[in-house]
Amino acid sequence: MGAYSTIAFKPELCDGCNACMQACGDAKGGETLADSRIQIVPDRGRFELALCRQCGDPKCVANCPAAALSKNEETGTIEWDGDKCVNCLLCTVGCAYGGIAYNAARGHVVKCDTCGGDPACVKACGRGALKYVTTARIYNEVGALEDLFVPGLAGCQGCNTELIMRHTLRRVGPDTVLATPPGCIPGMGSVGYNGLTGTKVPVFHPLLTNTASMLAGVKRYYKRRGREVTALALAGDGGASDVGFQSLSGAAERGEQILFVCVDNEGYMNTGMQRSSCTPYGAWTSTTPVGERGKGKSQDAKNLPVIMMMHNCEYVATASTAFMEDFYEKLEKALDASRRGFAYLHLYSPCTTGWRFPSRKNIEVARKAVETNFVLLWEFNPRDGLRLTHPVDKPRPLREYLEAQGKYRHLSPEQVAHIQAGVDHQVAFIRGLADGSARLPAM
Amino acid sequence: MSAVTEAKPKIVVCDGNEAAAWGVTLASVDMVAVYPITPQSSLVEYLAKFVAEGKLDAEIVDVEGEHSVLSVLQGGALAGARVYTATCGPGLAFMFEPYIRTPGLRLPMVMGIVTRDTLTPQSVWGGHQDAMSVREVGWIQMYCETVQEVLDTTIMAYRIAEHRDVMLPVNVCHDGNYLSYGAARVELPDGAATREFLGPPSVNWHAALDPERPMAVDPLTGGAGGPGPRMFVKYRKGHCRGMQNALRVIEEVHEDWAARFGRRHAGLVERYRMDDAEYAIMTLGSMTGAAKDAVDEARSQGRKVGLVKVKTYRPFPVRAVVEALAGVQAVGVVDRSVSFGWNGGPLYQDALAALSGALRRIPAMSFIGGLAGADLTVDHFHRVIERTARLAQDGQPGETVWLNEND
Amino acid sequence: MHTDYLILGASHAALSALNAIRMHDADGGITLVTRDDCLPYSPTVLPYVVSGRSQPQRVFLKNEDYFARSRAELLRGAAVAAVDGAGSRAHLADGRTIAYRKLLVATGAAPVVPPIPGLRDSRFHVLRTLDDALALKSALGRARQAVVLGAGLVGMHAAENLAKTGAAVTVVEMQPHVLPGYFDAQAAAIIESAFRKRGVMLLTGHKVVRVEPAGSGCTVCLEAGETIAADLLLVGVGVAPVTDFLAGTGVEVDRGVLVDDTMRTSVDNIWAAGDVAQARSFYSDARTVNGILPNAVEQGRVAGMAMAGDPGLRPYPGGVPLNTYTFFGQRAVSVGIQEQGVDGAEVYAETDPDGCRHLKVVLKDDRLLGIFGINAAFDPGVMWELVLRRVDLGPVKTDFLVRPQETARALMSRLWR
Repeated sequence: MGAYSTIAFKPELCDGCNACMQACGDAKGGETLADSRIQIVPDRGRFELALCRQCGDPKCVANCPAAALSKNEETGTIEWDGDKCVNCLLCTVGCAYGGIAYNAARGHVVKCDTCGGDPACVKACGRGALKYVTTARIYNEVGALEDLFVPGLAGCQGCNTELIMRHTLRRVGPDTVLATPPGCIPGMGSVGYNGLTGTKVPVFHPLLTNTASMLAGVKRYYKRRGREVTALALAGDGGASDVGFQSLSGAAERGEQILFVCVDNEGYMNTGMQRSSCTPYGAWTSTTPVGERGKGKSQDAKNLPVIMMMHNCEYVATASTAFMEDFYEKLEKALDASRRGFAYLHLYSPCTTGWRFPSRKNIEVARKAVETNFVLLWEFNPRDGLRLTHPVDKPRPLREYLEAQGKYRHLSPEQVAHIQAGVDHQVAFIRGLADGSARLPAM
Repeated sequence: MSAVTEAKPKIVVCDGNEAAAWGVTLASVDMVAVYPITPQSSLVEYLAKFVAEGKLDAEIVDVEGEHSVLSVLQGGALAGARVYTATCGPGLAFMFEPYIRTPGLRLPMVMGIVTRDTLTPQSVWGGHQDAMSVREVGWIQMYCETVQEVLDTTIMAYRIAEHRDVMLPVNVCHDGNYLSYGAARVELPDGAATREFLGPPSVNWHAALDPERPMAVDPLTGGAGGPGPRMFVKYRKGHCRGMQNALRVIEEVHEDWAARFGRRHAGLVERYRMDDAEYAIMTLGSMTGAAKDAVDEARSQGRKVGLVKVKTYRPFPVRAVVEALAGVQAVGVVDRSVSFGWNGGPLYQDALAALSGALRRIPAMSFIGGLAGADLTVDHFHRVIERTARLAQDGQPGETVWLNEND
Repeated sequence: MHTDYLILGASHAALSALNAIRMHDADGGITLVTRDDCLPYSPTVLPYVVSGRSQPQRVFLKNEDYFARSRAELLRGAAVAAVDGAGSRAHLADGRTIAYRKLLVATGAAPVVPPIPGLRDSRFHVLRTLDDALALKSALGRARQAVVLGAGLVGMHAAENLAKTGAAVTVVEMQPHVLPGYFDAQAAAIIESAFRKRGVMLLTGHKVVRVEPAGSGCTVCLEAGETIAADLLLVGVGVAPVTDFLAGTGVEVDRGVLVDDTMRTSVDNIWAAGDVAQARSFYSDARTVNGILPNAVEQGRVAGMAMAGDPGLRPYPGGVPLNTYTFFGQRAVSVGIQEQGVDGAEVYAETDPDGCRHLKVVLKDDRLLGIFGINAAFDPGVMWELVLRRVDLGPVKTDFLVRPQETARALMSRLWR
């Protein structure tokens, strides 16, 4: 059983206009709003929803004594068979969402059938409160691809790097040579230990310094031999932005056909959470400690993806595991671009251990980084320039992001103001690049 | 620069850098990574030119520094390519991180070192200090005496490196300035014959980055407990065994080269006028020419002096050195570099260690000359011969002699 | 033969357990045994087979393909004769023995035949199996004078079906009103009225003292003295768990098989779920047999998770009486308990003047204890959840009483997020 597309509801965007109910009623031949299979219900000035969730393990189906309900394994929709239904209503006992209910006009239960994957209610919603979430496509597609890492990689609890690794390699596939320079990624066991491998593809530790160069050699030779092999790097920000930057920059300048994924956890987290040039201003690290005089890092982070963009690479993008659809689109494009030139993906990857937040909050912190504009999700190619893929016009307050992490616990108001100014500057700069009005920042 | 005598040249007049480039071309190398540095620069220019002219059908990667030069070649070799580069001095120092890793990966490749003295004092001229500084990390190092030997050795080095009993990278060292820029008449062996001599590349049968036979190349090994420590020892000992096997393979390859192409170069050590020698001088690289002239003159004056030239410096040919020196009363060892820890030359230090295994004590003395492009002339070698003759008499080695100290 | 998980029974509890086991244990062997020769079906569908609403060949809950995909073996026509708890083996009536690692008893219940003198000498119907349904269905067309003993769901469904064929129908019920246990007298009156309107004679508060065979039919004698001639007699006074084969196993049995909050019996590797089980009530520590379909599904799931060692298992919250009942196109729904015996219960009840709609809400400390309706719009599944979660309805009480469906939906929609 795979995952399925679902209708998602954002109550904060719903104004109770009932357009969705009207559309559903129209689509299903109803007379009144009561005939709609989606029901918007008032809730103390706001609005809530009663709608079939198309459950994975549906109780309505289990409760049906007549086998009139069944889950369509292909579409995920729970289907109702009027010929079999005996109108006993036991299905309505099984549903805690009000998703299947008796309809007086019809004289039997009705429920959402997602209009065959093109729900009328979603199309009718002008406020974005209803969304047809097709993320499941990704999981099904990727889930059908072979997981090329060994089970049981030893990441810290709550780390999202394993997610990045497995999903990336599943998509990139077996005709790959994988480089994982020293850091968390090989530290998890991706290359293996003592003669044992950690993946099903050829894999190696380059030096921290030479990932892009070694891959360039591999790729050039296969290209010379007429073999299509993807040269993939899963590197950290330290190895990419600091000591490995020369080889990265050189390979990008030469347009080596490499897919270089930089997993940015803002420091040398594998070796004990030391500062890198990607560590943001003000952040505690083990080499920018906080004390009588120390107040965290005293310099701003190097914006590595922007620097890579300035190499005029075939493709450059930033991504976040809180926005997997966005990441997947970029992964596809990057993979494609790596057949023509250098493709660089910069993944913002919160570190539960080094950033000091509870392990369950990884995706939440990743999402807040985007929603506060602390990081921006964009993509670049030499023909179309830079494009924001997830513009955040009304950012959440920056403190929501900063306060979610222990590494910023010590910040003074002045430091927060400095970070806010940096965010504002970044937003203006990136947006300027996107709309063509940007000038290079005064460095 | 080159005087090509016919469309498909058999005889050319060229310098050592061009000779190396011809060697690379004749060895049918698949991939070359280059970064220029004096006095190696013209070598990579020749390579680029040969590729541009279609003489050399190789992937040429112009990278941003020596560190990446060797890194690209490691990647290429792990994919199966026969690869080449050359460097020297600061470039070799910058390359050190991937350099020390290459032999452990057992990657058979050839890298020319157009030897140059190391900084600092600031210098751009020849000297063996660069190659000597990396003598203990597990590469095979061979020193050439002539332009022809540069060419021939560059080709032979691939067969040595790729030999299944060896599987190690080889440095073909030739002296900066003297050999790099000194032109000589050179015979180019026939391309088909060299291809037959080398056979197809045999580079990554043991460790490959190839989706058709996926493996982890160099996963973490060692640490206390588990199979790590013994695996690590196994790899280290295997590396040492490959180095020792190279002593046999080098001689076999040089023999075969002589048989096929009619030019005989000593593989490990060359004995020059050693048959009845009472004492000997020991040399390395291009200085040997002047040294041989000095020995000839001394012989003509009735002195029973001979010369032992070390070609293969790593692995050190202990037995061949001891056998060559078995009959002499003393040996004067001339280095073009310094061993700071021993207040002498590195070759001297090796000679002392090797001679400790001789049946009787053979006193040795260290001479250091030719640093930073300084000339080592016949006169300098006469001083070496004289001092060594005295050593043969009294058996009392003196302080290290710095030959250019008063030039 | 040997299996990891042996499931006795193949109806809702058994199938729910099978699903739960497979969610956690992809490989363990699963065997279900059913006394029926056909694929699994629900006893609840049988009244609809009788009425003709359901085609008997289309009532099966799962097909062969489902068992193949679930890698579970379904042994049909295999009644269990005895369980050897110490030896972890089940003996089938046909002589076969199945060794198991873990056993689930989901054998359900059988109709109770009350000890009425003469009853066993007379021809009568019960309704628990597909065969019963087919027999009753074929008798339906011929019946002119039908008597139904018991005004529970089986009896009331049958009465409706019989009435629709034109037969004269009499229902005899000892309790003072129909559907006792699910509805109070006020709600029952609405139902009763619908039946009376269609000519069904409802003799509530009456007891049958004797049944006398008479020709192809019988005569039913009431305590009050009346006698009713019947050419069709249906006994629908209830069901009782089937547990006789557990004798000697050490499995404690009261009215049903006693189980803990993970559906485990007093024997370590034996679980029980569904109509056969006697599990904790949600409202008290007492253990009751709560023989209704949604509980069977829930208990089967809990048992399956427990048997497979699923760490996601949360203990059974306790049984809540639940039912839905449709009659002559009307709908009756009950969730939870009535106010009787509950200190401090608040009761809100309303019945439309025309008697078409009835709603009753029982609260205590602003928590929902029960909600009962006839033709009233609310979602029983949502209400069940409000009961189980003991959701504080105080802030929305007025709205809840006026618009229970909307208010509860909004509450749950918010709570799920």
